[in-house]
Amino acid sequence: MSEINLDELPAPNVHRHKRGRPSAIWIVPIIAIAAGAALAIRTYLRAGPTIHITFESAEGLEVGKSDVRYKNVPVGKITEIGISDDLDQIVATVELNRGAAKLAVSDTKFWVERPRVGVGGVSGLGTLLSGAYIGVDVGTSADTTDHFVGLEKPPGVTHDQRGKKFRLLAHDAGSLAIRSPVYLKRQQVGSITELALTADGKSVEIEIFIDAPYDKDVTETAVFWNSSGMDVTLDAAGLRVDTQSLTTVIAGGIAFGFRDPAHTGAPAADNTRFTLFEDRARAMAKPDTEKLALAIRFDEPLRGVAAATTLIDFQGVQIGNVDDVRLGYDAATHGFYTDVAATVYPRRLGAAYDALIAEGAPTGRSGPEMLQALVGRGLRAQLRSANLLTGSFFIALTLEPNAKKLTVAMKDGAWTVPSERGGTDQIQDQVASIVAKIDRIPFDAIGNDVHDATHAASSLMGHIDRDVVPDTKKLVGEAEIAVEALRDGLAAIRDNVAAPDSPIQQAARTTLDELGRAAFSLRGLGEYLKQHPESLLRGRDSGPEPH
Amino acid sequence: MTAEELGIDKCETCELVMRAPHDESACPRCGERIIARATSRSSSRCWALLIAAAALYVPANVLPMMKTEQFPVRRSDTIFSGIRFLWSEGSWELAVLVFTASILVPLTKLLALGFLLVTSSRRSTWRPRVRTKLYRVLEVIGHWSMLDVFVVSLLTAVVQLGRFANVEPGSAVLPFASVVVLTMLASASFDPRTIWGGIKS
Repeated sequence: MSEINLDELPAPNVHRHKRGRPSAIWIVPIIAIAAGAALAIRTYLRAGPTIHITFESAEGLEVGKSDVRYKNVPVGKITEIGISDDLDQIVATVELNRGAAKLAVSDTKFWVERPRVGVGGVSGLGTLLSGAYIGVDVGTSADTTDHFVGLEKPPGVTHDQRGKKFRLLAHDAGSLAIRSPVYLKRQQVGSITELALTADGKSVEIEIFIDAPYDKDVTETAVFWNSSGMDVTLDAAGLRVDTQSLTTVIAGGIAFGFRDPAHTGAPAADNTRFTLFEDRARAMAKPDTEKLALAIRFDEPLRGVAAATTLIDFQGVQIGNVDDVRLGYDAATHGFYTDVAATVYPRRLGAAYDALIAEGAPTGRSGPEMLQALVGRGLRAQLRSANLLTGSFFIALTLEPNAKKLTVAMKDGAWTVPSERGGTDQIQDQVASIVAKIDRIPFDAIGNDVHDATHAASSLMGHIDRDVVPDTKKLVGEAEIAVEALRDGLAAIRDNVAAPDSPIQQAARTTLDELGRAAFSLRGLGEYLKQHPESLLRGRDSGPEPH
Repeated sequence: MTAEELGIDKCETCELVMRAPHDESACPRCGERIIARATSRSSSRCWALLIAAAALYVPANVLPMMKTEQFPVRRSDTIFSGIRFLWSEGSWELAVLVFTASILVPLTKLLALGFLLVTSSRRSTWRPRVRTKLYRVLEVIGHWSMLDVFVVSLLTAVVQLGRFANVEPGSAVLPFASVVVLTMLASASFDPRTIWGGIKS
């Protein structure tokens, strides 16, 4: 190839280009960066905080599948499920959405929503298809945190429910459960949200939530009672069945009311504590401010006396209940006895107790001491039948004027009352003796005698038939003759007496005439005396003689 | 001896040999644009497209590529989590394929093109033949990165069974497709002659 002469070559047409101005192609990376930045910002804005929630078990939870829902709106998802350091719990790592960052405050509650079937109802049915999810109820605190302890059960109340919480202290929970209803006048106004034993394990603390506007009805004087199931009471007053609704029969429930509906007081504050009574009767009873232990020893067997149901009656007033019945053995007398421990509320005696205290005041004796002193005046405890139908009993404290005068001291602060064989026993004894007497009647022998007598009577009848009847016929014939003779006699009498000229008739007529004259003289005397009554005192004056 | 050393250039259209232009020029015979080797604007064009591709590469990998719902499981996968899922499911060959097509190739393209641009602008003398080969390889593999986009578009069209099985494209599809297109444009706008710029014959 030959040498190329550069100068012979044509020169390109040079466009004087606007130098220094960047080419339009740079718009592309600018747009790309802008788009990338926009996507990044959007993603960042959408991503919220990452939180860790501990649960007892991860049952139903799955990474990528289970989400976190607030009011059933997904607000985050589980990105990881691990086990806590102490291997006791699981830790679910949850990535919340940006908008849900406000949920991550310290008092927010998380729980695993699973299908639950309980007596109070069915919940979480939707999770049967969708799988379990983590439910959220947002708290009100301002402190944000990223570690939460999940609840095992959904909370009874969500934060946005209006109403008030109250705490009830109960002796035992009965059939109450979380979500059991709370009734006012048999209308559901709330439910149980929490149920836990107290720290000492002696009672149960129940948290209830009363929905607005009924929370205003819970006042300081409200009394709560357990209305669970059917309240069947068989006591001295007979059989009582009490229930709030069909639900409470199955699921249990709490009711509240007022001892004095006219004075309900001011609405109670949030978290006020109340006592949960075992039943309505107990709740409605006047509060017993003063308690006194009562100890009675019975020598008789106490069949039908039971703790809590047997009443203590003082002169007709129910002042307490039996707490305990214990059988004892006395080695000295080789006999069994029964110790009854009871609690009585002397204030139930009302004015009578005040009077007793007033009586004891000058000598410095307290009310219980005055009650103890009543033993000296013949106070005795007796077991009496309250209801013959149910066979229940009550213990009556009565003053027996004829009782031996005893002085019994209080024992361990308990009002100690001697016992006496009760009216029931007496009735029983009398009935027994009557039964024994009836028993002694020789019904067999009587039966035999009656049989014999009947036999004798029938033989007597045969004898009469055989021997007496023929004689009787003879007798009738003779009687006929006698009647004939009588008739003759009577005819003779008629002839002698009833004839007008018979001597008897004559004599009778004369006698009647004499009587007529005597009556006439008497009439004359009467008329004279009417005109001259003084003649009875002074004698007759010389006036004409009466006719 | 190279054309550059001789100070000559040729028109790409009418093959006219002329003196090497120093600036944006036109062919005196056919009027076609002559791209000056020395002040190649091609490199700046390539840079611009490459930067755009790199910028979009981040959202393409971070955002979900595909949302699948296979009752009752709902998944939202980025490219990488999808690969991990395939791997954990035992389809490791598929995982390798997707990894190569969706992560390795675009990344290689971005890095290799960047490397070529840097070395050319510095008029590097390091192994120009290798670099030229690299450029040719880039041009060939460039198209294959679209695999993921095709998979998503196909599945979206086919799997629409309502609640029971559903596939939806994620927000990463668009940036990812843009990355692929932009890298292809960038490699097309790269002038391989610049590789040889500083090489004396």
